[in-house]
Formats: sequence, C-alpha cells, structure tokens
Amino acid sequence: MNKKKIYSTWFLAPAMLIFLIFFIIPMITSLFFSMTVWDFKNFTFVGLDNFKMFFSERSLNIGIKNTLIYAVLTSGLKVILAFLIAVFLSSAIRTKNIIRSIVFFPNLVSTIAIGITFTAFMHPSKGIFNKVIEFFGGTGIDWLGNINLALFSVIATDVWKGVSIATVIYVAGIASIDKTFYEAASIDGASGWQRLKSITIPLCRPAMNSVIILSFIGGMRSFDLIWAMTGGGPGFATDVMASIVYKQYAAGFYGLSTAGNVIMFVLIAVLAFPLQKFLLSKEVD
Amino acid sequence: MKFRKVTALLLAAALAAGSLAGCGSGKSAEDDSAEAKKVENEVNKTASGEEVTLTMLIDNGTEPDGYEAVLALAEEKLGIHVDVEIRPGGDEGDNIVKTRLASGDMADLCIYNSGSLLSALNPSEYFIDMTDSSVASTFDEAFTKAASVDGVLYGVPFGSSSAGGVMYNKEVYEKYNLEVPETWDEFIANCDVLKEAGENALIGSFGESWTAQVPYLADNFAVLQKEPDFPEGFTAGTKKYATSEAGLRSWQKLAATTPYYNKDYLATNYNDACDMLVNGEGAHYIMLTMALRNIYSLYGDEVNKIGFFPIPGDTPEETGLTVWAAGAIYGNKNTDKVDDIKRFMEFWVSDEAIDAYVEKVLPDGPYHNGYQLPDTAYDAVKVDMQKYFDEGKTALALEFLTPVKGANCPAICQELGSGQTTPEEAAAAYDEDCKKQAVQLGLDWK
Repeated sequence: MNKKKIYSTWFLAPAMLIFLIFFIIPMITSLFFSMTVWDFKNFTFVGLDNFKMFFSERSLNIGIKNTLIYAVLTSGLKVILAFLIAVFLSSAIRTKNIIRSIVFFPNLVSTIAIGITFTAFMHPSKGIFNKVIEFFGGTGIDWLGNINLALFSVIATDVWKGVSIATVIYVAGIASIDKTFYEAASIDGASGWQRLKSITIPLCRPAMNSVIILSFIGGMRSFDLIWAMTGGGPGFATDVMASIVYKQYAAGFYGLSTAGNVIMFVLIAVLAFPLQKFLLSKEVD
Repeated sequence: MKFRKVTALLLAAALAAGSLAGCGSGKSAEDDSAEAKKVENEVNKTASGEEVTLTMLIDNGTEPDGYEAVLALAEEKLGIHVDVEIRPGGDEGDNIVKTRLASGDMADLCIYNSGSLLSALNPSEYFIDMTDSSVASTFDEAFTKAASVDGVLYGVPFGSSSAGGVMYNKEVYEKYNLEVPETWDEFIANCDVLKEAGENALIGSFGESWTAQVPYLADNFAVLQKEPDFPEGFTAGTKKYATSEAGLRSWQKLAATTPYYNKDYLATNYNDACDMLVNGEGAHYIMLTMALRNIYSLYGDEVNKIGFFPIPGDTPEETGLTVWAAGAIYGNKNTDKVDDIKRFMEFWVSDEAIDAYVEKVLPDGPYHNGYQLPDTAYDAVKVDMQKYFDEGKTALALEFLTPVKGANCPAICQELGSGQTTPEEAAAAYDEDCKKQAVQLGLDWK
C-alpha cells in the first residue's frame, strides 16, 4: 500500500506539535473557560449560563444580526464591484497600470487610519461629505449618528478599503484565461456582453470563489474598522460579535467573552464551510 | 540562476548582519543611558544615602505637568527616581491594567480609579495594604470608602475630588438674564428660553460615549435623597433601577435632555465640547469638573467664565452635589521595593507634594485630606462647588458606594440620550447589564 511513500510520517511531527500547542490546546481550554466565570486566577463552573446570557441579552445578541448583515453586504458588494473594476482594468486601456495602482492604494493604509479619516469625513457638520452635499444644495446626512444608517456607512468604508484586494484576485483570474477563447468567440461573432457572460464569468469562477470566501470570513470577524469609527455606537447600533467580545473582555468578564468567541467560531464554521463546498461544486474546469 | 541564488544569499546575510548591528547599537545606547542614570543616582546617593528607581503606570489623560513636578520633588527629597509609563484610558486602559496585573507585570505604582472599578481588580492579590500607614487617618470617609475593598485601604488619593454637574457659560446666562436653577423644572425652563433664542441649550459630546453617562451618574444625590438605602439594596440585588421610582427618575432626566443638544452632538467629542462651552457656542455642558482643567490648559483665565451647579433635583432640597472620589495610587505588593513604594505614597499626599502639584495643575475640587484650596483655584470650584461642601449637601456617586457598575453604561446612556430607547427600557437594560458584573463579583443576584 505504502510502497510509494518516500518520507517518514515523523516529518509531520514538528508541524503537528505546533498545531497542537498553538491551536488545539487553546481551543479546548477556551471551550472549557467559556463555561465558567473566570478572573484569570479562579473560576467557577456555570455550565451554559454564559451562552444563555449571550443569546438572551439584547446588547449581546444584536451583534449576531449585525455581523451577518456586515459580512453578507461587504462580501456581496466587494464581489460585484471588484469584478466590474477588474474587467475594466483588464481591457485595453492605456493608463491601466496607473489605475491599477490607484485602486490598490486604500489597501496600503492602516485600517485604523482609514477609520479615523472617514469618521472625520462623515462628521455631520464639519465633514467633507456633508460639505459637498450642502454645496450642491442638499441637506447633510448624519452618517454615523443615524442609527439606521451608521452600520451601512461603516460597510461602505470597508468596501472602499477591501475592494482592492478582491480586484487584484480577479485581475489575476481574468489574465489567466486563455486568449484563444476570446479569439474563437469573436470569429463566431460573439458580442462583448456574450464574451463576458460566457467566457469571462465562468472561467474566473475560482477567483470569484476566493473573493467570496475571503471577504465573507473577513466580514464575519471584522473589528478594527468598526472600533475605530463608531466603537459599536451610537448605543449598540453597530456592535458586531468581535466588538462585543472585546467589550466583555475589557470589562473583565473573561468567561463571557470567551463564550462570545466560541459562538463566533461556530458561526463562521457553520456558514463558511458549507458555503465553500457549495462554491467549489459550481466550479468548471 | 546560480548568480541569483548567490545574490539572494548575500542579501540575506547583509540583512541579518544589519539587524544584528541594529540590535547591537541599540543595546549600547541603552548601556549609555544606564550609565548616565547610574551617575545621576550616585549624586542622589550622596545626598540621601540610598538609590531607588520605581516605575509608575499612568493614563494618558492626566496632564503630566502636575505629576512631573511632584516626581522631581520626590527625587530630590526622597532619593526615589520614578520612571513613568503611559497607558491609554477607557476600555483599552482597563485592559492593560488587568492584563498586566494578571501576568505579574504591573509597575511599582499603578494609577487607577477608586470605587467599583477598583473592586473589579481583585486588589487583595496585588496591592499593598495601606490601612495602617501613617497617612490613612488623614483621608476623609469618602475616599477611605472608595479606595477600600472589604475594609482594607489600598490607595492614596492621586489628586483632588471632583464633582459631576452642569457647567454653564456665565456670559450666556447674563445675556439672557437667566438665574441659576434650583429645581429640574427651572433648569428645563432655562433650556427652553435658550432653545427658542436659537442657542445650543445643552452641549452633548456623545461622540465619546463615556461622556453620555454623566447626566445619569451625577444625579445620584437626588436618588439618595429619595432612597438613602438605594446603594445597599442595589448591591444586594433587591433594588433595581427599573422598579425604583428614585432610580428611574435619573433615566427620565437623561431622556429629557435629548431635545436640547447641539445638532451634531453624536459626533462631537469631549475636547470640542469644552471649546464650545468656553466660547459660548453652547450654554450648558453636563460634565465632571475635570473639564475645567482642560479648559484652563487651553484658555487660561477664561476658565472663570464657567460657572457650576449640580444636576437639579425635583425640589430645592433634592438639589445637591454628586462627588467623585479621586483616583488613587496603588502600590504593587509583589516586588521587593514595598517599603520604598509606601514611602513614596505617603510623600505623595504630603502638603509639600500637593503644593508642587497644584502649582502646575489646579484642583477640580476639595482635597480628601483637608488640604487648603489655593486662592488661584477656579471660581467654579472655590465658590460654586465649595458652597455645597460647606452646607454638607454632598453625596458620592453610585460607583463609589457599590462595587456593581454595568460595563455597558456608556452605550446604554448614549442610546437613551439619542432617543433610541425609553427611560424604562434603558433602566431595565442597565439592571440586566449590572447582572454580569454581579455574577463576576460572585454576588448572589437571582
């Protein structure tokens, strides 16, 4: 059976050891501590109380809803916008390289810096967005103060920042499509739209899947941008799982915040794995 | 190909060498400064007979001028050199303090809040017992209570007490012929006059959520007038904000302020609000008196344009001052320098040390050890606030009377103040939030 085996299984040992120490053991301990009231020194076992509290209290479970909205919207917008930009950037335009760089720039700036900058842009009375709107005769919008809008303002900023990485993945995907497909199609008289629909989209499917999975998981555990822009506020309007977990930790509720992390882990696993499986099944060779 | 490999190897070697060199030079610089310090300390040694270096962890919101003056004096008088480590304030600061305590990495001196935040630190594990020190008896009851857990005193006051209430711009009051209100209705009537005249009756700085909780927290005097045993009941879990008339009233007052704020109050931050108040862009700002310090450092003597009155109660009798006990210096007991740390802490509250501090940073309120307020103190402190101390109409804020304080208090107040919830909902949400703290502290709440 193992005639073709050249290397000893022991070669796996170092990697497995690191995996065990840094991933498996912390995971099991965190599973345990999520069921305790814990102050780093002493703990009391409380069973599933922490989880019950998480699901029953509004200030905690609002995060589950917001996290899903955040992940689905940022991921969806990035997938669509980045694809359009990538198609545009793959076409024969003269300033392609410069535009590609410009599109990538937001990704080079630290997320916190982007958060602080956009908070200033979105200031209701002094921000540049509202100044522009008022210049054209509109009335200013309270981007981050309006509870119905605040989450979407942060989502828009996240998309602005994250669309570049998605674009790069798409550009690579589109560039790897064999040019002969397009030549054959144009000889057959296919229009630009037909070529896009029947060649580009199906053949850059692997790139699209990477973008979907990466941006979805990224959205699920997003924290830095939200923390820099709103801190979860006003009230709890933009709180996501990660910011709630952080707040419980800061308050010293270590057991409760560990429970939040476990919930977040389960949530990501339950959504991301089937999603990936589904997407892979759709890929064409 | 081979050429490339060789180049890569060379580059890698150069990089490694470079970083080694970097480390090396860094180390030598450190050596140099250590050498310099040694020389410096030797000078001290000849003066005082011994040399000690302590470390102090302090938040970045405290003006350095004041404590640096005292530290310089301590070096001269005690021969104790203190290295200051700066940490952020707010949630991040709490995180750092708790993590450093738990990992045994705390500085020798830790500056931190007194009251409920102290009890959340589990102080008996980490801090020096100051109950029997020579200075313990000089502190007033308010501070002793706030800096003690289970009857053991852990800290000495870092600064003066302060108060929460309404700061107002006297020029705006003169312009509209307003009187300082004695009841909540008079206060709202004043706000209405200002609002109709197109002024910002109230300045809100909800952009920083901790500021949103001051109107609720500073109403504690009125709560205690109606229900003197509220804090004990609250700690025991028998009294709740949602079901106590006096408690609920605080949340109703906070909700009643909503229509009077400046238009962009949800994005305004603390510093902007202080600017607005002193420049007359708003008439009232409900804040802690520490804002006076901030205004003084930016505008100097213009600070005396600012007057102060407590959050008014429903009757003149219910109008009194809600006082914040000073933050404290706690000594790390898990070091071999305990005696020096205690010596330093006792020095910190001596008159000469406070003199040096006050010369740089004026106090936000009376001192806890009876230190005489200087003549240069802000009018709002030495006239408006002192009046209530003289009349004995003061009460500590709730966070100094019970170990339970909900961690989400800022967000809940922000939510209520921005009109997302009703006072009843906010009070109930806060009760629910406090349950988490009670569970953490091992209190038996049902």
